[in-house]
Amino acid sequence: MEISNLLRAGMKVSLMCLFGFAVSAHSQSILIKDARIVTLADQGTLESGDLLVRDGKVVQIAEDLGDATAELIIDGRGKVVTPGLIAPSSALGLTEIGAAASTNDGAIAEQSIGAAFNPVVAFNPRSTLIPFNRAGGLTRAVVVPASEDSIFAGQGFAIKLTGDFDSVINADLVQKVYFGEYGAQLAGGSRAMAFAQLESALEQAKEYSENRDEIRRGQWRELDFAVDDLEALQPVLREEQPLMISADRASDILQVLTLANTFPIRPIIIGGAEGWMVAEQLAAARVPVVVDVLGNTPDAFEKLGARMDNAALLHRAGVTVAISGPGYAGSHNSYLSRQAAGNAVAYGLPFEEGIRAVTANVADIFGIEGGVLAPDGVAELVLWSGDPLEVTSFAELVLIDGKPQSLVNRSTRLRDRYLHPKAGTGHGYKN
Amino acid sequence: MRFTRRSVKDSVWRRLRLPLGVGGALLAGMLTACGGDDKDVAADGPDFARQGDFPSTYQPDEAAPVLIRGATLLTGTGEKLLKADLLLKDGKIAAIGDELKAPRKGLVIEGAGKWVTPGIIDVHSHLGDYPAPAIESSQDGNEMTSPNTAQVWAEHSVWTQDPQFALALAGGVTTLQILPGSANLFGGRGVTLKNVPGRSVQDMKFPGAPYGLKMACGENPKRVYGGKGSLPSTRMGNVAGYRQAWIEAAAYKEKWENYYINGGDAPDRDLQMETLAGVLNGDILVHNHCYRGEEMAIMMDIAREFDFQISTFHHAVEAYKVADLLAENNVCAAMWADWWGFKHEAFDMTEANIAIVDQAKACAMIHSDSAVGIQHLNEETAKAMVAGQRAGFEIQPRHAVTWMTRNPARALGIDDVTGTLEKGKMADVVVWSSNPFSVYAKAEQVFIDGVLMYDRNDPARQPHSDFELGILDAEGERLPEGGER
Repeated sequence: MEISNLLRAGMKVSLMCLFGFAVSAHSQSILIKDARIVTLADQGTLESGDLLVRDGKVVQIAEDLGDATAELIIDGRGKVVTPGLIAPSSALGLTEIGAAASTNDGAIAEQSIGAAFNPVVAFNPRSTLIPFNRAGGLTRAVVVPASEDSIFAGQGFAIKLTGDFDSVINADLVQKVYFGEYGAQLAGGSRAMAFAQLESALEQAKEYSENRDEIRRGQWRELDFAVDDLEALQPVLREEQPLMISADRASDILQVLTLANTFPIRPIIIGGAEGWMVAEQLAAARVPVVVDVLGNTPDAFEKLGARMDNAALLHRAGVTVAISGPGYAGSHNSYLSRQAAGNAVAYGLPFEEGIRAVTANVADIFGIEGGVLAPDGVAELVLWSGDPLEVTSFAELVLIDGKPQSLVNRSTRLRDRYLHPKAGTGHGYKN
Repeated sequence: MRFTRRSVKDSVWRRLRLPLGVGGALLAGMLTACGGDDKDVAADGPDFARQGDFPSTYQPDEAAPVLIRGATLLTGTGEKLLKADLLLKDGKIAAIGDELKAPRKGLVIEGAGKWVTPGIIDVHSHLGDYPAPAIESSQDGNEMTSPNTAQVWAEHSVWTQDPQFALALAGGVTTLQILPGSANLFGGRGVTLKNVPGRSVQDMKFPGAPYGLKMACGENPKRVYGGKGSLPSTRMGNVAGYRQAWIEAAAYKEKWENYYINGGDAPDRDLQMETLAGVLNGDILVHNHCYRGEEMAIMMDIAREFDFQISTFHHAVEAYKVADLLAENNVCAAMWADWWGFKHEAFDMTEANIAIVDQAKACAMIHSDSAVGIQHLNEETAKAMVAGQRAGFEIQPRHAVTWMTRNPARALGIDDVTGTLEKGKMADVVVWSSNPFSVYAKAEQVFIDGVLMYDRNDPARQPHSDFELGILDAEGERLPEGGER
């Protein structure tokens, strides 16, 4: 099964014919030879190098590993190895069909819960979005809730895209809040109210932590937020969880920075369309930004300054940039973060930074494993047919925990069924 | 005279008319525009399309000749020419060849390392009707008040100052069709525009391009009207709605044709019926939002029942399932490279969709339906090309380029005047920094009718809409230093 799957995914000749090793998900040691290797770690980029994987870890990376051997040896000539892509913001495993309410668990409406909402128990590793995005080179993703009622969306988590039932890797990773136009709408019509709600939630969370017992016994003044929500904000105030805040307008971003001066929080700006206008302040405050590179249209009054070179300008000022998939494509095409990164590079972001923005920077910002290739590090990588940011390249091999992943998905299954459509009942019996 | 013309206007002739492209409709339009007193009829029958009512006032500026020298040309006719010269003169493509003589007065572009394609054509856009910034008061793209609003015309909603037109131009888009939205069975008329600045929408209208009629299958109409407790609330309700309307339109058309032949009292005009009758007489092209294979098959049956031709299925996520039927029925499919899953009818996506439709010899094309996607149609085409190669098809850039140029021109009925680099065609041309099927390629110069409408290296040749003045910086521009390069 695994062999035929990988074959169909297009790895055929170089693996099977040249080396004669069967590809199997159970291969414990894999040697990629003579590939361009972008480590994003101490070893930098090797124009031509070998990489050895054993027992889920990267063992060695070097220009020439000599006669090192492995159960599977892959000819990497002309190909490029990078760390696996990591989606900085998605609803993977929480959505199947956008417009089918019953298949969506990422947002709640008209409930009293806010910051305490945690959709991790709703995560479905068997979602069709997971194999599809994995075939696009995505190996990890941050999954965050959305909100239709409160500026507090709740807690996000991180997953590996193995499709296994145990693929949630960080259960309480991040807290998501809306500011800007949507936050204003949720807060009753003004950014000022959204900001006040956020400020008072953090204040009351602090008050709660200092007077937990009295508050729980009911011997305290009435607070504006449920105890569960205030409890959920404690890791945020301990700087254990970053606070992902949506903001696009330059002045909104600056307001978030003032909040970070008042409270001990680690904000991550998501959106940041006008981030380039306040790039120096963002850099000084060491606040990272998750950018939708392709979102360069001034499609809201809070995004009048949207531009294609936002990521490049932010990076130049010293801001840590992560790149998400294009907003219009949603979670279903999270892996297209690499096309977005390619566009960022076309508009001035250095090439290696483009790759970093969809791998290492995402891992850094959220404090999760992966995103780099280094000895003893996790063997989560992609072998690309060519330039990893190029739209004509594709993933030929995806390793998670050192294991080759199936690259088959509904897109390839439907393709193979209908390659030559014709009348009759035959299609119904093709697998 | 009239009678004679009427007598040849049978259904066989009508079927012949559409594949010929713009010819018939152009003729009708020009005759009407130049016509005398009899405004309600064209020379060969009742004038349902009414091309002359809001005529194109687009006039390309005078431009000196342009020689693009020694570039790689993807002609859109299936050829890739290396180190070729391309001469633009008097708004037309004047010559393609080796070592063409540089015009005495004119622009010479050194094309070494550059690639040249026909201007990109997007068959499905809502720019101007759903402009940026998107606020409640600017959402003019869908008259969602009745399942049949064939009487509305998308051009009457176009905000010509939408700053997104210029962004699409920087992506190499020279022509685009603005369509009404998809909430209705019949959404109204679409309009084909040249991507040029205009004070009125007529200043942008593609001269002589036939009108489109937007129709919609599937989820959207049944959701919108079913939600209001009216027909349609199901897909079978959708089909009943189409058929009922075509029955009425056929009767309307007959009434007018009888008047045309026999005279007497003129029937009352009905804007909704005019548009549908314009489809039945072949002057207006059907652009049908339709995702699913089985629904496309039904729509082609309806077209047979009422004797009209569907130009193109849009958002045809499942076109690959019925590619042979599309080829048989001479219907195009406009598709995305990989967009999926936002609703149920978009669930069965394959990245090989365009390639499979193409290899079945049906007319396949990329389209955007997005103000972002329209800026990257070359990248989207590249992804679809590679998906085709991975499926085992021999598809090279010289052929894939037709998915964003010639085939959308055909779908719009303008392929005899634009969409390829051929002598005599409109000089709608893009000079790319490199192979356009690369994420790093940029449109450097964009010519429309031989006029340099966009130059990436010259801020003075980058259009900005009125909206962008005094935005963010009262004394500056929306994006300083001419913006992104």
